[in-house]
Amino acid sequence: MKIHVKSYLTDRENFLPAVAFCVAVFGPVAFFSRRITGVGLNAFYPAAWSAFTALAAFFIFYTRRVSFYRRIFFSGLALSFLVHFKLSLLSKIFDSSCFKDTPFCHIAIASSFFNYMYQQYLALMSGDWRLWGPLSLAFAWLFFTLVIGRAWCSWACFYGGIDDGLSSLPKKALVKTGALAGKFRDFPAALLIFLLLISLAYMLPVYCLWLCPLKMTSAFLDPGDALIRKVQLGLMLFALVILLAGPLLTKKRTFCSFLCPFGAWQAFWGRLNPFRVVVDEGKCNACWECFDSCPMFAIRAGHDGKPEVSAYCNLCGECLAACPSGGLRYSVFGMKVGDVKTGFGRLLNPESFLVFSALVTGGTFGALFAPAALKDIFDILLRIATSY
Amino acid sequence: MLSILSEGFILGLSTGFYCLTSCLPALVPYLLSEGDKVWKTNFDIFLEFLSGRFIAYFLFAVVSTLIGKAYKPYLPHWVAPLAMLLTAIAMLAFLFTSRGGHPGKGCAMQFSPFYKRIPLALGFMTGINVCPPFIAAFVRLVELSDMTAGMFYFTGFFTATSILILPAIAPTPFMNDRLKNIGRMTLAIAGVWYLLLGIKGLAAAL
Ligand code: SF4
Ligand code: SF4
Repeated sequence: MKIHVKSYLTDRENFLPAVAFCVAVFGPVAFFSRRITGVGLNAFYPAAWSAFTALAAFFIFYTRRVSFYRRIFFSGLALSFLVHFKLSLLSKIFDSSCFKDTPFCHIAIASSFFNYMYQQYLALMSGDWRLWGPLSLAFAWLFFTLVIGRAWCSWACFYGGIDDGLSSLPKKALVKTGALAGKFRDFPAALLIFLLLISLAYMLPVYCLWLCPLKMTSAFLDPGDALIRKVQLGLMLFALVILLAGPLLTKKRTFCSFLCPFGAWQAFWGRLNPFRVVVDEGKCNACWECFDSCPMFAIRAGHDGKPEVSAYCNLCGECLAACPSGGLRYSVFGMKVGDVKTGFGRLLNPESFLVFSALVTGGTFGALFAPAALKDIFDILLRIATSY
Repeated sequence: MLSILSEGFILGLSTGFYCLTSCLPALVPYLLSEGDKVWKTNFDIFLEFLSGRFIAYFLFAVVSTLIGKAYKPYLPHWVAPLAMLLTAIAMLAFLFTSRGGHPGKGCAMQFSPFYKRIPLALGFMTGINVCPPFIAAFVRLVELSDMTAGMFYFTGFFTATSILILPAIAPTPFMNDRLKNIGRMTLAIAGVWYLLLGIKGLAAAL
């Protein structure tokens, strides 16, 4: 097969804008990745991670298959987290470059938010500026919320990446989840309220210690009480089943939809963010394909009998791909703006802005662990090669 | 007497944060599930909760003075976990019988005064789990060793800590069915949590 290089280089309709988009994503991700990994890690690893992110940007733009390539990027991010986090827990050989302490992820931050506020209050009272760290974290979260809002859950979160990747594997759902969704879709909000209060009461990150499925090692269990240890293990195991088996059985993101307190948190605060998925009334013929395709149970019946996208939508793009009549689109605050179909003008579409913001955020966040995971994998391969 | 009252009040204001931490996990889920758009209903629940707390505090003072443990609020070790366990059972029993508050379905709730006293029980339970500010107030109370002064001091302390708990009723005017349902689920989680801690505490105390 002959590849017409020349025709690509003059393709101003698709190829060149896609390259421009890819470069636009690569620049900031490469810059931040290098800053984050520092000189401790060979520059090749952050560069490779940035290239991976930029390639996702290229293919999303070039093929217009947002969700498909998003998922590859997102699952890669989650997998790299698992590799690095688990390897650094299992063995000292894999010196952790980012988890010097118990990792304190965004889920724990949301569910311990009152604790942060209390710490800030203490800092305010004592005038000790060194205690202002938590406030910086809060600012970082506010920044990310303003930039991508709920899209965090489909473009940057490592739990989401596992759930999302697994939910795409089965051809058909073995277990139907319609009734479950109606009853328990708001359960994460209840869990969030409880965790906010109880974490404050005990001054502990209760989610981390009792529910986090990624922490199933003895290091995080209560050393003093056998009963509590068993309950902790039971709950973590339950969360792990929801995270791993749930999506495989239902083809839905069960952990994100029914357990994750951060999802509820972001659904509430995500309203600050301008990006939305909206239904185009004129194009929608109420076939409800989008309802079935949404892995987050975020589509419900509107007053006019047509679908309505709820605050739980995390802008994954699955429904956009599923709709046979192109009835859904990304928008900014639900506004109808001209949708440029080809050429460099596409760079200014709401979809391009969202994908750019989401990939730069996801890529930058992933730089905390993905380059280190690449190094881990490289080290393992090297060990295998040298042992033969 | 006014200075004693304000002394108690200031102690309550400055240390009352701890009261929040022990009281809110019990009060907020209940308020969310049973509260109403009407302020008065929510305020009634709030007052009932505070009364439970007040009774618990008062009992402490009496029991401790009677048995002469003047400098340390005294109760047998099994009382607090038992109170926790009973409240957890009450919370869960309430949930399973009230069925979301639809009239006609939650028969038990309409007839039994037991279900109407849940906030009182919750307040009592959180009151029995003495927190550091309460101990501080109590020590001062004993120092005063004057019944009237003690009452003033304690009233000031109790009022200030109650003010700090007041924001708990702030979200209730925005109540709708969905929020109530979330509140009921939160109540269920909190009930199971207290049940577990109650069993654990009892097992350790007996
Ligand atoms: S898939 Fe498209 S046409 Fe069908 S109901 Fe959803 S938005 Fe409407
Ligand atoms: S509504 Fe569409 S974009 Fe939003 S989560 Fe569901 S499938 Fe994804």
